[in-house]
Amino acid sequence: MKVQVCQEGSCTIVSIQGSADVGASAALRDAFLRALDAGATRIVCDLAKTDFICSDALGVLITAYLKAHGRGGFVRLANPQKRLRKLLETTRLDHLFDVFPDVACALKDV
Amino acid sequence: MPPSLPKEGRGPSVPSHPTETPNAAGWTEEVLPTRLTAIRESERKVLARLEALGYGKDHCFAVRLAFEEALINAMKHGNRMEESRQVRLAYRVSPERVEIRVADEGVGFRPDCVPDPTVDENLQRPCGRGVMLMRSYMDEVTYSANGTEVRMVKYRANPVRGFPESGRRC
Repeated sequence: MKVQVCQEGSCTIVSIQGSADVGASAALRDAFLRALDAGATRIVCDLAKTDFICSDALGVLITAYLKAHGRGGFVRLANPQKRLRKLLETTRLDHLFDVFPDVACALKDV
Repeated sequence: MPPSLPKEGRGPSVPSHPTETPNAAGWTEEVLPTRLTAIRESERKVLARLEALGYGKDHCFAVRLAFEEALINAMKHGNRMEESRQVRLAYRVSPERVEIRVADEGVGFRPDCVPDPTVDENLQRPCGRGVMLMRSYMDEVTYSANGTEVRMVKYRANPVRGFPESGRRC
């Protein structure tokens, strides 16, 4: 798994490439913590190139959501592929996160 | 040693003799330390078997997800991340189905008492989705009486949840 973090205006884009599996969730947690510690509150997680997410990594996204939300911000998900979309539906996390077809849509009203 | 499930005539309940290659009954048995990083190598071997037998990507995704959740649960909740405790794993992959058994050395739990992570009041909980995901993505999930061992089966002919086209007759 590779995590890239970049800034787009007032938003932080966290792109996950590959598998966010149990062996990678610590690195994912570190990436979100670093962004949050640096003051990020508006975060878009780009899942276009993410092929797998375990429940541990879902927990990382939820923790980041709670921290950002607690500071008046958000964590939005962009472009999950079909298996991840189904996983979000199965867990009903699509009711917690706002899910967008791509990063541009996720940034539209910001 | 954790207690074992009834054998049901379908192979060992918990591995007793680790094997790098499948035994005569088709089971590969491993003993893992309680270390999350140990999961990946076993997972790689299971997925390689599926791919070699031509299982589709939806099935591989489902088995991978359930496999990880079972081992994470065994290590985190069963063995409480005590590295001296072991996780016993057995798996058998045939052209028709994938069977996985995972046993921990914890005190056990009652799977039916795990809170439903999909109800609104639990959606913000960062954990507690493993059992639900295993049940959602595998065709059979059964626990030993005290909950220290789980047995899961995914049939190739059965579609993966949400992907009706993924099941096919062999």
